[in-house]
Amino acid sequence: MDDYANIWLHRAKWAYLLLIVATLMSPVFYVMYISFNENGFGAAQYVFTTRWYGLIFSDGQLMDALRWTLGLAVTTTVLTIPMGLLAAKFYKATRAKVAVVFLLLAPLFVAPDILSAALLVFFKNVNLSFQGLGDLAGVSFMDAWFRLGFTTTVIGLIIYTIPYAFVVILITMGRYNKEQTEAARACGATGWRAFWDIEFPQIRAGVFSASAFTMILCFNEYTRTSLLKGGFDTFTTVLVSQMLNEGMSEQSYAMSSFVSFVAIALIGGIIVFTLLRSEAAARRAQPVAEPNTVPA
Amino acid sequence: MTDATDTGLGGLPPVEPFRPTLRERMSGWAFYIPIVFMVLFFALPMALTVVFSVFERTMFWMEPGFSLLAYENFFFSARLENFLASMGYSLISVAVSFCLGFPIAVFVRKSVPQAAQHRVVLLFILPFMVSEIIRIFALRPVLQRNGLVNETLLNLGLIDEPITALLYTHTGVIIGEVLSFMPFIVFSGFLAMEAVPKYIFEVCDDLGAGPVRRFVDVILPLAAPGIFAGAVFIFVNGLGVALIPNIMGGPGAVNAGLIATQAITALDFPLAMAVSAIMMATLMGLLYVGHKLFDLTKILAPMN
Amino acid sequence: MNTTTPAVQVRQLCKNYGSVQALKGVDLSIAAGEYFVLLGPSGGGKTTLLRTIGGFHKPSSGQVWLNGQEVSHLPPDKRPTSMVFQAYALFPHMTVLGNVGYGLSLAKLPKAEVRDKSMAMLEMVGLSGYENRRPHELSGGQQQRVQLARALVLGRNILLLDEPLAALDAQLRKDMCLELKHLQEKVGITFIHVTHNQEEAMTVADRIALIADGELVEQGAARDIYRTPQRRFTASFVGENNLLSGNVTAVEGDTVTVEVCGQPLAVDRRDLPVRAGETVALSIRSELVEMVSADGTAAADGCSLSGTYAESVYLGLTLSHRAALADGTEIVSRVVGESDAPDPAPGTAIRVQWKPGALRLHVN
Repeated sequence: MDDYANIWLHRAKWAYLLLIVATLMSPVFYVMYISFNENGFGAAQYVFTTRWYGLIFSDGQLMDALRWTLGLAVTTTVLTIPMGLLAAKFYKATRAKVAVVFLLLAPLFVAPDILSAALLVFFKNVNLSFQGLGDLAGVSFMDAWFRLGFTTTVIGLIIYTIPYAFVVILITMGRYNKEQTEAARACGATGWRAFWDIEFPQIRAGVFSASAFTMILCFNEYTRTSLLKGGFDTFTTVLVSQMLNEGMSEQSYAMSSFVSFVAIALIGGIIVFTLLRSEAAARRAQPVAEPNTVPA
Repeated sequence: MTDATDTGLGGLPPVEPFRPTLRERMSGWAFYIPIVFMVLFFALPMALTVVFSVFERTMFWMEPGFSLLAYENFFFSARLENFLASMGYSLISVAVSFCLGFPIAVFVRKSVPQAAQHRVVLLFILPFMVSEIIRIFALRPVLQRNGLVNETLLNLGLIDEPITALLYTHTGVIIGEVLSFMPFIVFSGFLAMEAVPKYIFEVCDDLGAGPVRRFVDVILPLAAPGIFAGAVFIFVNGLGVALIPNIMGGPGAVNAGLIATQAITALDFPLAMAVSAIMMATLMGLLYVGHKLFDLTKILAPMN
Repeated sequence: MNTTTPAVQVRQLCKNYGSVQALKGVDLSIAAGEYFVLLGPSGGGKTTLLRTIGGFHKPSSGQVWLNGQEVSHLPPDKRPTSMVFQAYALFPHMTVLGNVGYGLSLAKLPKAEVRDKSMAMLEMVGLSGYENRRPHELSGGQQQRVQLARALVLGRNILLLDEPLAALDAQLRKDMCLELKHLQEKVGITFIHVTHNQEEAMTVADRIALIADGELVEQGAARDIYRTPQRRFTASFVGENNLLSGNVTAVEGDTVTVEVCGQPLAVDRRDLPVRAGETVALSIRSELVEMVSADGTAAADGCSLSGTYAESVYLGLTLSHRAALADGTEIVSRVVGESDAPDPAPGTAIRVQWKPGALRLHVN
């Protein structure tokens, strides 16, 4: 925005930007709106209720699915974040940057159905190979390796989430000055101590954001989970089977709204928190007048 | 060396190569874990799709062999037509997303204060916090005959009867794809605009280049790698995400992702693998062409 | 410590980055208690050398010996060195006291002792009263003092300084130079200081090593490097030297005759291996060159050249007269003090002359 620009044109551009965001979000808001209607979608009269939300929490199958989802999300996050950190550190140090970045970002470019189909067949084959190997050796402990289930879903989810974690952590690390680690080493810290004492406190915000992001992505994921999960149900698979079987029921509106509320609140909280932090950091970064006191 | 240097060391014993201690080597290995993981569980399964696609189909599974039946099933059936048609619609989605989204990236880079830029872009993350299936499913009540859009337009008196082309049609698929993937063109465009320094705008003003010349001659060439990456992302996801044609599309709206999932449901695993292999080849081909044209490594500059 | 053992010895040190050779077999020996400066142009390898001594780079080949022990395989935290970085290397999430005491608390010293030692060191660098501030609340000069305190408090006997003053403005840099010198005299440990600024190097150094293109070009006392550069590169980098090139026409005993622009010049041979017919370089500091009006005849004393006057550049303390030789080579004469005499008009024929022995010979 320079001094000669047309202020109204500038405002129009802002309005357009916000309109697009609103459009992107409108289906979600509309679903939220419907979820509070006693009469459900399409009814002539709107009567406010929270009855549909009550139904969610009394649904045993759904609560069971929620527990599985939480388990998946936590396990995936616990594994993805350290791997994203290691990958970002590796990326910073290596000279084969293109290969590393290709390997870590490529999952973004492989559509979920394609990737999960490939993983599904891969896991089935690996499982069969281990079973065959077990039969040859006369042991059975390998029979369950890579059988579709919790482990395979977690692997699929890690591949799904690691690009996001990698990028978020890498961007946060960009603001960290490597010389601080070297200074810590010169002070006698081992590599691990230097990371833990000096670097981690400064990239913590990025690591937490990446964790929250990973959790939310896992919670929302459907395609990969449904193909790789084997026996159990997760939140999204219950939701989808319900929608496909009964159409959009009032309860499914409530369920959709509920997770959307939680996710938006979580990420909104993080955005507000990081904004406040970065504002504080910007205030701190004000240059200090040079000669304060020169010692005699 | 130099005539003035005298280290007094005389004849040196041959220098031994540097050897790190065992512990140093062990901790170094930890950094390879993500790489190994991705090779093992991402690159390898994707590469093996080519192998599995030529396996012989059995009743419930497949067995090693060499058969091009899966490819025959793909290329000599309505699947190919559907696949090619979905490519066309995917391209339309890319174009629409670019026209709607890229100006936002330019606007944010050019006219929003530096400190606030990232926050504005963060706004476009919000939709991703809501599950993709919810967002797609939620489009049904919005777009259907008695949905939000039609009701609003009817009430405003802009139309006399509901528009039915918005859902269960190819238009519906395009709407779904644009609403799902458009933020990615904002992100990649935003990153790409990092390659366009702000003074460029001032130079253009100074030289009297208008907005069109500026866009075609300066912004587009500089931001091309990022734009291309965003476009490829939308294109391959338009081809590969089964959910959108499944929920939003009508008869004939079948993309590669849907073919693959349908094949798996029908226990035709070689066909699913063939579709995956074809998609992978498409992606690799696009990235190769893009790299030849624009040097895609430039996209990474902001990350270094 | 055994005072006869050099504090730092570097043997045949090479460092390669892919196909780029950052260090090409450097040998160097630094005595204990010396203030040693590595001087050279950017990208010449001086920082790489310092960081290899500190353990931040692993040598591709060669050895680093510190206090008589081979340490090439040791990481920085296991070496008897501490380091001051260019800038921004303070820990922003810790107070000044926390920064200075970090190394001591890693060594598991009692808290009270950490505090006492850190406070004493802060006083030494003149920052008493700043211990509870955060790094971003300090000026650039103060931040570098904190870095000094953080490095010195560890009690190691080799301190590495990587362009410690580069981020400071000119006046502050001058003050800090002297402070560094005095500090080193007070603590008595070995300082190794990397800089590309020759004034900074001259101010602090006991000895200077010139590093360029991955090689140690020349080393010696600061004064000798300035007054009697051995190599052509040294002459071009240190001080303000005029560089000439010419052909050797005769070698007689200790005197070499070199023809520059058709005029013979006499120069001391300095035992250099030189033969008639060779192309050699000559250097002379600009303050040793005197410019006089030409009387039309070329002097045959071997200590002067004729040329044409170009311009004068007023630099406050000094005034530089610039002239060109017949082949276009520029030659500068620098004089101190004001002169009321008008400068010659551009294009005037002039003569530059110097005292015998001022000109120096360099062979490749």
